[in-house]
Amino acid sequence: MYKATFIIIEKSYLIRKGLISIIEKIPNTQVIQQFDNEDDLKTPANFESDFIIINPNLLNANTLNIIKKITPSPALSACSADRSAGRRARKTQVISISEKSTVLTKEFEWTAQIYLDDTQNSILKKLNTLIGNRETKNVKSEVPEEISKREIDILKNIALGYSNKEIADKLFISTHTVVTHRKNITRKLGIKTVPGLTIYAILNKIIDINDTGKSKS
Amino acid sequence: MIITKNIKMADVIHTNYFTLSVLNRFGIELGFGDKSVDEVCKKNNVDVDFFLEIVNAFVDKDYFPKKHLQTFSVKLITDYLQKTHDYYHKLKVPEIENLIEEMVDSCYTQKENIVLLKKFFNDYKQELLNHTHREEKIVFPYTLAIEKAYNSEESDNSVIELMETYSIEIFQNEHDNIEEKLLDLRNIIIKYLPQPKNSRLCNKLLYELFNLEQDINDHSRIEEKVLVPKIREMEKIITKRFAKK
Ligand SMILES: [Fe+2]
Ligand SMILES: [Fe+2]
Repeated sequence: MYKATFIIIEKSYLIRKGLISIIEKIPNTQVIQQFDNEDDLKTPANFESDFIIINPNLLNANTLNIIKKITPSPALSACSADRSAGRRARKTQVISISEKSTVLTKEFEWTAQIYLDDTQNSILKKLNTLIGNRETKNVKSEVPEEISKREIDILKNIALGYSNKEIADKLFISTHTVVTHRKNITRKLGIKTVPGLTIYAILNKIIDINDTGKSKS
Repeated sequence: MIITKNIKMADVIHTNYFTLSVLNRFGIELGFGDKSVDEVCKKNNVDVDFFLEIVNAFVDKDYFPKKHLQTFSVKLITDYLQKTHDYYHKLKVPEIENLIEEMVDSCYTQKENIVLLKKFFNDYKQELLNHTHREEKIVFPYTLAIEKAYNSEESDNSVIELMETYSIEIFQNEHDNIEEKLLDLRNIIIKYLPQPKNSRLCNKLLYELFNLEQDINDHSRIEEKVLVPKIREMEKIITKRFAKK
Protein backbone atom coordinates (compact mmCIF):
# COMPACT_ATOMS: atom_id res chain seq x y z
CA MET A 1 0.00 0.00 0.00
CA TYR A 2 1.14 3.53 -0.67
CA LYS A 3 2.13 5.79 2.15
CA ALA A 4 1.25 8.93 0.27
CA THR A 5 -0.58 9.68 -2.94
CA PHE A 6 -0.34 12.77 -5.11
CA ILE A 7 -2.37 14.59 -7.70
CA ILE A 8 -0.54 17.04 -9.93
CA ILE A 9 -2.31 19.90 -11.65
CA GLU A 10 0.08 21.79 -13.89
CA LYS A 11 0.08 22.86 -17.53
CA SER A 12 3.69 22.21 -18.37
CA TYR A 13 4.57 18.67 -19.37
CA LEU A 14 8.18 19.19 -18.35
CA ILE A 15 7.26 20.32 -14.88
CA ARG A 16 4.79 17.45 -14.40
CA LYS A 17 7.38 14.93 -15.52
CA GLY A 18 10.00 16.48 -13.29
CA LEU A 19 7.75 16.40 -10.24
CA ILE A 20 6.77 12.80 -10.87
CA SER A 21 10.35 11.68 -11.20
CA ILE A 22 11.20 13.33 -7.89
CA ILE A 23 8.13 12.03 -6.06
CA GLU A 24 8.85 8.51 -7.25
CA LYS A 25 12.21 8.65 -5.55
CA ILE A 26 10.40 8.57 -2.22
CA PRO A 27 9.47 4.99 -1.36
CA ASN A 28 5.80 4.01 -1.40
CA THR A 29 4.52 7.16 -3.00
CA GLN A 30 2.47 7.40 -6.09
CA VAL A 31 1.17 10.08 -8.42
CA ILE A 32 -2.35 8.83 -9.02
CA GLN A 33 -3.55 11.52 -11.39
CA GLN A 34 -2.13 14.36 -13.39
CA PHE A 35 -4.06 17.10 -15.08
CA ASP A 36 -2.82 19.68 -17.51
CA ASN A 37 -5.81 21.98 -17.21
CA GLU A 38 -8.56 22.76 -14.77
CA ASP A 39 -11.37 21.62 -17.08
CA ASP A 40 -10.39 18.00 -16.73
CA LEU A 41 -10.75 18.03 -13.00
CA LYS A 42 -13.88 16.17 -12.30
CA THR A 43 -14.59 14.54 -9.01
CA PRO A 44 -15.80 11.00 -8.89
CA ALA A 45 -17.74 10.25 -5.70
CA ASN A 46 -14.82 9.08 -3.63
CA PHE A 47 -11.76 10.71 -4.98
CA GLU A 48 -8.83 10.27 -2.66
CA SER A 49 -5.37 11.69 -2.47
CA ASP A 50 -3.11 12.83 0.32
CA PHE A 51 -1.49 15.70 -1.53
CA ILE A 52 -2.32 17.96 -4.41
CA ILE A 53 0.42 19.87 -6.14
CA ILE A 54 -1.07 22.67 -8.18
CA ASN A 55 0.14 25.62 -10.18
CA PRO A 56 -1.49 28.65 -8.50
CA ASN A 57 -2.48 30.01 -11.93
CA LEU A 58 -4.89 27.11 -12.27
CA LEU A 59 -6.51 27.80 -8.94
CA ASN A 60 -9.91 29.47 -9.09
CA ALA A 61 -13.26 29.21 -7.36
CA ASN A 62 -14.09 26.12 -9.36
CA THR A 63 -10.89 24.17 -8.80
CA LEU A 64 -10.89 25.21 -5.18
CA ASN A 65 -14.29 23.66 -4.77
CA ILE A 66 -13.21 20.40 -6.30
CA ILE A 67 -10.03 20.27 -4.27
CA LYS A 68 -12.06 20.67 -1.11
CA LYS A 69 -14.01 17.56 -1.98
CA ILE A 70 -10.94 15.39 -2.32
CA THR A 71 -10.28 13.39 0.81
CA PRO A 72 -7.00 11.87 1.93
CA SER A 73 -6.52 8.23 1.06
CA PRO A 74 -7.31 5.80 3.87
CA ALA A 75 -3.68 4.78 4.23
CA LEU A 76 -2.89 7.99 6.02
CA SER A 77 -6.18 8.93 7.60
CA ALA A 78 -6.88 5.42 8.80
CA CYS A 79 -6.96 5.90 12.51
CA SER A 80 -8.63 9.29 12.48
CA ALA A 81 -11.99 7.58 12.63
CA ASP A 82 -10.96 5.24 15.40
CA ARG A 83 -10.17 8.07 17.71
CA SER A 84 -13.13 10.33 18.21
CA ALA A 85 -10.85 13.34 18.53
CA GLY A 86 -9.63 12.88 15.00
CA ARG A 87 -13.00 12.12 13.60
CA ARG A 88 -13.42 15.38 11.80
CA ALA A 89 -12.35 14.73 8.26
CA ARG A 90 -8.72 15.43 7.68
CA LYS A 91 -8.05 17.62 4.70
CA THR A 92 -5.97 16.81 1.70
CA GLN A 93 -2.89 18.98 1.78
CA VAL A 94 -2.28 21.38 -1.05
CA ILE A 95 1.19 22.30 -2.27
CA SER A 96 1.93 24.99 -4.82
CA ILE A 97 4.36 24.73 -7.69
CA SER A 98 5.35 28.12 -9.01
CA GLU A 99 8.16 30.44 -9.87
CA LYS A 100 7.76 32.63 -6.82
CA SER A 101 6.07 32.49 -3.50
CA THR A 102 2.31 33.13 -3.68
CA VAL A 103 -0.23 33.96 -1.02
CA LEU A 104 -3.70 32.57 -0.99
CA THR A 105 -6.99 33.58 0.57
CA LYS A 106 -7.27 33.26 4.30
CA GLU A 107 -9.55 30.26 4.15
CA PHE A 108 -7.05 28.36 2.11
CA GLU A 109 -3.41 27.93 2.85
CA TRP A 110 -0.54 26.21 1.15
CA THR A 111 0.89 23.34 3.12
CA ALA A 112 4.17 23.95 1.38
CA GLN A 113 5.47 25.72 -1.70
CA ILE A 114 7.78 24.30 -4.29
CA TYR A 115 9.66 26.73 -6.51
CA LEU A 116 10.94 26.11 -9.98
CA ASP A 117 14.50 26.89 -9.00
CA ASP A 118 14.45 24.53 -6.01
CA THR A 119 17.11 21.83 -6.08
CA GLN A 120 16.05 18.24 -6.12
CA ASN A 121 17.22 17.85 -2.55
CA SER A 122 15.20 20.74 -1.25
CA ILE A 123 12.07 19.43 -2.95
CA LEU A 124 12.68 15.97 -1.52
CA LYS A 125 13.17 17.51 1.89
CA LYS A 126 9.91 19.46 1.70
CA LEU A 127 7.95 16.43 0.61
CA ASN A 128 9.56 14.09 3.11
CA THR A 129 8.77 16.49 5.92
CA LEU A 130 5.12 16.58 4.90
CA ILE A 131 4.84 12.83 4.58
CA GLY A 132 6.72 12.38 7.85
CA ASN A 133 4.45 14.80 9.68
CA ARG A 134 1.42 12.89 8.69
CA GLU A 135 2.93 9.59 9.67
CA THR A 136 3.76 10.59 13.21
CA LYS A 137 0.21 11.80 13.61
CA ASN A 138 -0.86 8.31 12.65
CA VAL A 139 1.41 6.12 14.65
CA LYS A 140 -1.05 3.30 14.43
CA SER A 141 -0.76 2.99 10.68
CA GLU A 142 2.89 2.06 11.11
CA VAL A 143 2.28 -1.23 12.88
CA PRO A 144 1.97 -4.32 10.68
CA GLU A 145 -1.31 -4.48 8.91
CA GLU A 146 -3.02 -7.44 10.50
CA ILE A 147 -6.72 -7.57 9.95
CA SER A 148 -8.46 -7.15 13.31
CA LYS A 149 -11.12 -9.34 14.88
CA ARG A 150 -13.72 -6.64 14.43
CA GLU A 151 -12.76 -6.29 10.79
CA ILE A 152 -13.15 -10.03 10.32
CA ASP A 153 -16.69 -9.71 11.70
CA ILE A 154 -17.44 -6.97 9.22
CA LEU A 155 -15.77 -8.82 6.36
CA LYS A 156 -17.83 -11.88 7.12
CA ASN A 157 -21.03 -9.89 6.83
CA ILE A 158 -19.94 -8.18 3.64
CA ALA A 159 -19.18 -11.57 2.14
CA LEU A 160 -22.58 -12.84 3.23
CA GLY A 161 -24.14 -10.09 1.18
CA TYR A 162 -25.26 -7.61 3.82
CA SER A 163 -25.34 -3.89 3.13
CA ASN A 164 -23.52 -1.32 5.26
CA LYS A 165 -26.79 -0.35 6.90
CA GLU A 166 -27.68 -3.96 7.72
CA ILE A 167 -24.24 -4.62 9.14
CA ALA A 168 -24.47 -1.50 11.29
CA ASP A 169 -27.83 -2.62 12.71
CA LYS A 170 -26.60 -6.15 13.34
CA LEU A 171 -23.46 -5.11 15.18
CA PHE A 172 -24.97 -2.09 16.94
CA ILE A 173 -22.54 0.39 15.40
CA SER A 174 -23.04 3.38 13.12
CA THR A 175 -22.99 3.08 9.35
CA HIS A 176 -20.12 5.52 9.40
CA THR A 177 -18.07 3.09 11.47
CA VAL A 178 -18.88 0.27 9.07
CA VAL A 179 -17.65 2.39 6.18
CA THR A 180 -14.42 3.14 8.03
CA HIS A 181 -13.86 -0.54 8.75
CA ARG A 182 -14.50 -1.34 5.11
CA LYS A 183 -11.93 1.19 4.01
CA ASN A 184 -9.40 -0.31 6.38
CA ILE A 185 -10.14 -3.84 5.21
CA THR A 186 -9.67 -2.78 1.60
CA ARG A 187 -6.43 -1.03 2.42
CA LYS A 188 -5.03 -3.98 4.32
CA LEU A 189 -6.04 -6.65 1.84
CA GLY A 190 -5.75 -4.70 -1.39
CA ILE A 191 -9.20 -5.89 -2.39
CA LYS A 192 -11.92 -3.38 -3.22
CA THR A 193 -15.00 -5.09 -4.54
CA VAL A 194 -17.57 -7.25 -2.78
CA PRO A 195 -16.98 -10.33 -4.98
CA GLY A 196 -13.25 -9.99 -4.34
CA LEU A 197 -13.75 -9.75 -0.57
CA THR A 198 -16.07 -12.74 -0.73
CA ILE A 199 -13.39 -14.90 -2.33
CA TYR A 200 -10.92 -13.78 0.29
CA ALA A 201 -13.38 -14.72 3.03
CA ILE A 202 -13.92 -18.17 1.56
CA LEU A 203 -10.22 -18.82 1.01
CA ASN A 204 -9.57 -17.92 4.62
CA LYS A 205 -12.53 -19.90 5.95
CA ILE A 206 -14.21 -16.80 7.30
CA ILE A 207 -17.37 -17.95 5.60
CA ASP A 208 -18.36 -21.20 4.02
CA ILE A 209 -18.77 -21.35 0.28
CA ASN A 210 -22.39 -22.47 0.69
CA ASP A 211 -23.29 -19.39 2.71
CA THR A 212 -22.72 -16.77 0.07
CA GLY A 213 -25.28 -14.25 -0.94
CA LYS A 214 -28.45 -15.88 0.36
CA SER A 215 -28.34 -15.83 4.12
CA LYS A 216 -30.27 -12.61 4.43
CA SER A 217 -32.84 -13.96 6.85
CA MET B 1 9.61 5.65 -28.83
CA ILE B 2 6.99 7.64 -30.69
CA ILE B 3 5.72 5.80 -33.73
CA THR B 4 5.58 7.89 -36.90
CA LYS B 5 4.28 7.54 -40.46
CA ASN B 6 7.52 6.57 -42.08
CA ILE B 7 8.56 3.78 -39.75
CA LYS B 8 8.19 0.28 -41.13
CA MET B 9 5.05 -1.33 -39.81
CA ALA B 10 7.08 -4.44 -39.04
CA ASP B 11 9.32 -2.41 -36.74
CA VAL B 12 6.30 -1.10 -34.87
CA ILE B 13 5.54 -4.65 -33.82
CA HIS B 14 9.17 -5.52 -33.19
CA THR B 15 9.54 -2.64 -30.74
CA ASN B 16 6.31 -3.37 -28.94
CA TYR B 17 4.57 -6.65 -29.25
CA PHE B 18 1.36 -5.31 -27.72
CA THR B 19 0.69 -3.17 -30.77
CA LEU B 20 -0.45 -6.36 -32.48
CA SER B 21 -3.80 -6.13 -30.76
CA VAL B 22 -4.27 -2.56 -31.98
CA LEU B 23 -3.43 -3.58 -35.55
CA ASN B 24 -5.93 -6.34 -35.22
CA ARG B 25 -8.65 -3.86 -34.24
CA PHE B 26 -7.94 -1.73 -37.28
CA GLY B 27 -8.27 -4.83 -39.42
CA ILE B 28 -4.61 -4.79 -40.43
CA GLU B 29 -3.23 -8.25 -41.04
CA LEU B 30 0.37 -9.36 -40.88
CA GLY B 31 2.48 -9.96 -43.97
CA PHE B 32 3.11 -6.34 -44.93
CA GLY B 33 6.77 -6.83 -45.81
CA ASP B 34 8.80 -3.64 -45.53
CA LYS B 35 5.92 -1.25 -46.08
CA SER B 36 5.74 1.86 -43.91
CA VAL B 37 2.99 2.61 -41.42
CA ASP B 38 1.59 5.13 -43.88
CA GLU B 39 1.49 2.65 -46.77
CA VAL B 40 -0.04 -0.14 -44.73
CA CYS B 41 -2.73 2.18 -43.39
CA LYS B 42 -3.59 3.46 -46.86
CA LYS B 43 -3.87 -0.04 -48.18
CA ASN B 44 -6.24 -1.00 -45.38
CA ASN B 45 -8.29 2.21 -45.57
CA VAL B 46 -7.20 3.27 -42.13
CA ASP B 47 -6.84 6.95 -41.21
CA VAL B 48 -3.13 7.05 -40.54
CA ASP B 49 -3.16 10.09 -38.21
CA PHE B 50 -5.81 8.49 -36.07
CA PHE B 51 -3.98 5.18 -36.07
CA LEU B 52 -0.75 6.83 -34.94
CA GLU B 53 -2.34 8.64 -32.01
CA ILE B 54 -4.20 5.54 -30.89
CA VAL B 55 -1.23 3.23 -31.15
CA ASN B 56 1.13 5.69 -29.45
CA ALA B 57 -1.27 6.27 -26.58
CA PHE B 58 -1.69 2.51 -26.28
CA VAL B 59 1.99 1.78 -25.80
CA ASP B 60 2.93 4.84 -23.79
CA LYS B 61 0.68 5.71 -20.85
CA ASP B 62 2.11 9.21 -20.77
CA TYR B 63 1.43 9.94 -24.40
CA PHE B 64 -2.13 11.10 -24.61
CA PRO B 65 -2.79 13.95 -27.04
CA LYS B 66 -6.42 14.29 -26.06
CA LYS B 67 -6.94 17.60 -27.83
CA HIS B 68 -5.74 16.13 -31.10
CA LEU B 69 -7.72 12.95 -30.57
CA GLN B 70 -10.83 15.06 -30.06
CA THR B 71 -10.48 16.41 -33.58
CA PHE B 72 -11.26 13.06 -35.17
CA SER B 73 -14.83 12.28 -36.08
CA VAL B 74 -17.15 10.60 -33.62
CA LYS B 75 -17.66 7.87 -36.18
CA LEU B 76 -13.94 7.10 -36.24
CA ILE B 77 -13.67 7.12 -32.47
CA THR B 78 -16.73 5.01 -31.75
CA ASP B 79 -15.77 2.55 -34.48
CA TYR B 80 -12.48 1.99 -32.75
CA LEU B 81 -14.13 1.68 -29.33
CA GLN B 82 -16.63 -0.76 -30.77
CA LYS B 83 -13.85 -2.89 -32.25
CA THR B 84 -12.09 -2.90 -28.91
CA HIS B 85 -15.25 -4.24 -27.28
CA ASP B 86 -15.35 -7.01 -29.86
CA TYR B 87 -11.71 -7.79 -29.18
CA TYR B 88 -12.46 -8.24 -25.48
CA HIS B 89 -15.47 -10.44 -25.97
CA LYS B 90 -14.34 -12.50 -28.91
CA LEU B 91 -10.67 -12.93 -27.98
CA LYS B 92 -9.49 -11.84 -24.58
CA VAL B 93 -12.33 -13.04 -22.37
CA PRO B 94 -12.53 -16.51 -23.99
CA GLU B 95 -8.75 -16.83 -23.69
CA ILE B 96 -8.89 -16.16 -19.98
CA GLU B 97 -11.85 -18.48 -19.59
CA ASN B 98 -9.93 -21.26 -21.30
CA LEU B 99 -6.98 -20.73 -19.02
CA ILE B 100 -9.14 -20.92 -15.92
CA GLU B 101 -10.88 -23.99 -17.31
CA GLU B 102 -7.52 -25.60 -17.89
CA MET B 103 -6.57 -24.79 -14.31
CA VAL B 104 -9.73 -26.41 -13.00
CA ASP B 105 -9.02 -29.54 -15.03
CA SER B 106 -5.40 -29.85 -14.05
CA CYS B 107 -5.73 -29.09 -10.36
CA TYR B 108 -6.53 -31.80 -7.85
CA THR B 109 -5.49 -30.27 -4.57
CA GLN B 110 -7.68 -27.17 -4.53
CA LYS B 111 -10.21 -27.51 -7.26
CA GLU B 112 -12.83 -25.73 -5.17
CA ASN B 113 -10.67 -22.58 -5.00
CA ILE B 114 -10.12 -22.47 -8.73
CA VAL B 115 -13.84 -22.94 -9.20
CA LEU B 116 -14.27 -19.80 -7.11
CA LEU B 117 -12.02 -17.88 -9.49
CA LYS B 118 -13.99 -19.25 -12.36
CA LYS B 119 -17.25 -18.01 -10.91
CA PHE B 120 -15.72 -14.63 -10.14
CA PHE B 121 -14.54 -14.24 -13.69
CA ASN B 122 -17.81 -15.46 -15.07
CA ASP B 123 -19.68 -12.77 -13.15
CA TYR B 124 -17.12 -10.27 -14.32
CA LYS B 125 -17.63 -11.27 -17.91
CA GLN B 126 -21.34 -10.59 -17.52
CA GLU B 127 -20.64 -7.20 -16.03
CA LEU B 128 -18.27 -6.30 -18.83
CA LEU B 129 -20.83 -7.44 -21.33
CA ASN B 130 -23.52 -5.26 -19.75
CA HIS B 131 -21.13 -2.33 -19.69
CA THR B 132 -20.15 -2.51 -23.34
CA HIS B 133 -23.67 -3.41 -24.41
CA ARG B 134 -25.03 -0.27 -22.83
CA GLU B 135 -22.42 1.80 -24.60
CA GLU B 136 -23.15 0.22 -27.93
CA LYS B 137 -26.92 0.47 -27.62
CA ILE B 138 -27.26 3.87 -25.97
CA VAL B 139 -24.08 5.91 -25.79
CA PHE B 140 -22.52 5.43 -29.22
CA PRO B 141 -25.77 5.95 -31.13
CA TYR B 142 -26.38 9.07 -29.08
CA THR B 143 -22.94 10.50 -29.84
CA LEU B 144 -23.39 9.77 -33.54
CA ALA B 145 -26.74 11.55 -33.56
CA ILE B 146 -25.17 14.55 -31.85
CA GLU B 147 -22.39 14.65 -34.42
CA LYS B 148 -24.89 14.48 -37.25
CA ALA B 149 -26.94 17.33 -35.84
CA TYR B 150 -23.80 19.30 -35.21
CA ASN B 151 -22.65 18.93 -38.78
CA SER B 152 -25.96 19.70 -40.46
CA GLU B 153 -26.73 23.34 -40.97
CA GLU B 154 -30.47 23.14 -40.71
CA SER B 155 -31.72 22.75 -37.20
CA ASP B 156 -33.90 19.81 -36.46
CA ASN B 157 -36.00 19.73 -33.33
CA SER B 158 -35.58 16.02 -32.82
CA VAL B 159 -32.02 16.38 -31.62
CA ILE B 160 -33.13 18.78 -28.89
CA GLU B 161 -35.73 16.25 -27.84
CA LEU B 162 -33.01 13.60 -27.81
CA MET B 163 -30.81 15.79 -25.66
CA GLU B 164 -33.64 16.14 -23.18
CA THR B 165 -33.75 12.38 -22.68
CA TYR B 166 -30.03 11.72 -22.57
CA SER B 167 -26.82 13.66 -22.35
CA ILE B 168 -23.13 12.89 -22.29
CA GLU B 169 -23.16 14.14 -18.72
CA ILE B 170 -25.33 11.17 -17.77
CA PHE B 171 -22.86 8.81 -19.38
CA GLN B 172 -19.96 10.44 -17.61
CA ASN B 173 -21.65 9.97 -14.27
CA GLU B 174 -22.82 6.42 -14.79
CA HIS B 175 -19.63 5.20 -16.46
CA ASP B 176 -18.20 2.84 -13.89
CA ASN B 177 -14.70 1.62 -13.30
CA ILE B 178 -14.77 -1.79 -14.89
CA GLU B 179 -11.10 -2.52 -14.21
CA GLU B 180 -11.41 -2.60 -10.43
CA LYS B 181 -12.51 -6.21 -10.24
CA LEU B 182 -9.63 -7.36 -12.42
CA LEU B 183 -7.22 -5.75 -10.01
CA ASP B 184 -8.93 -7.59 -7.14
CA LEU B 185 -8.63 -10.87 -8.97
CA ARG B 186 -4.95 -10.26 -9.60
CA ASN B 187 -4.38 -9.45 -5.95
CA ILE B 188 -6.21 -12.57 -4.82
CA ILE B 189 -4.12 -14.79 -7.07
CA ILE B 190 -0.83 -13.13 -6.14
CA LYS B 191 -1.40 -12.76 -2.43
CA TYR B 192 -3.98 -15.19 -1.16
CA LEU B 193 -4.59 -18.15 -3.40
CA PRO B 194 -2.77 -21.27 -2.19
CA GLN B 195 -0.50 -21.79 -5.16
CA PRO B 196 -1.54 -24.61 -7.42
CA LYS B 197 1.09 -27.11 -8.50
CA ASN B 198 0.84 -25.87 -12.02
CA SER B 199 2.34 -22.42 -11.74
CA ARG B 200 2.74 -22.07 -15.48
CA LEU B 201 -1.02 -21.67 -15.93
CA CYS B 202 -1.27 -19.37 -12.97
CA ASN B 203 1.43 -17.07 -14.31
CA LYS B 204 -0.14 -17.04 -17.71
CA LEU B 205 -3.49 -16.15 -16.23
CA LEU B 206 -1.97 -13.26 -14.29
CA TYR B 207 -0.30 -12.03 -17.42
CA GLU B 208 -3.57 -12.10 -19.35
CA LEU B 209 -5.52 -10.42 -16.57
CA PHE B 210 -2.94 -7.69 -16.37
CA ASN B 211 -3.08 -7.13 -20.10
CA LEU B 212 -6.83 -6.93 -20.17
CA GLU B 213 -6.81 -4.49 -17.29
CA GLN B 214 -4.29 -2.22 -19.04
CA ASP B 215 -6.21 -2.43 -22.26
CA ILE B 216 -9.51 -1.47 -20.63
CA ASN B 217 -7.72 1.38 -18.90
CA ASP B 218 -6.61 2.75 -22.23
CA HIS B 219 -10.08 2.21 -23.65
CA SER B 220 -11.89 4.00 -20.82
CA ARG B 221 -9.48 6.87 -21.10
CA ILE B 222 -10.54 7.40 -24.70
CA GLU B 223 -14.19 7.29 -23.68
CA GLU B 224 -13.80 9.69 -20.79
CA LYS B 225 -11.15 12.08 -22.01
CA VAL B 226 -11.81 12.16 -25.74
CA LEU B 227 -15.39 11.20 -26.50
CA VAL B 228 -17.06 12.87 -23.51
CA PRO B 229 -15.45 16.34 -23.87
CA LYS B 230 -15.93 16.26 -27.63
CA ILE B 231 -19.64 15.54 -27.34
CA ARG B 232 -20.08 18.01 -24.51
CA GLU B 233 -18.67 20.74 -26.75
CA MET B 234 -21.04 19.76 -29.56
CA GLU B 235 -24.03 19.69 -27.20
CA LYS B 236 -23.20 23.21 -26.07
CA ILE B 237 -23.02 24.54 -29.61
CA ILE B 238 -26.23 22.83 -30.67
CA THR B 239 -28.04 24.26 -27.66
CA LYS B 240 -26.72 27.72 -28.50
CA ARG B 241 -27.88 27.47 -32.09
CA PHE B 242 -31.38 26.68 -30.91
CA ALA B 243 -31.40 29.44 -28.37
CA LYS B 244 -30.69 31.91 -31.17
CA LYS B 245 -33.70 30.92 -33.18
FE1 LIG C 1 -16.32 0.95 -23.90
FE1 LIG D 1 -16.69 2.09 -20.95
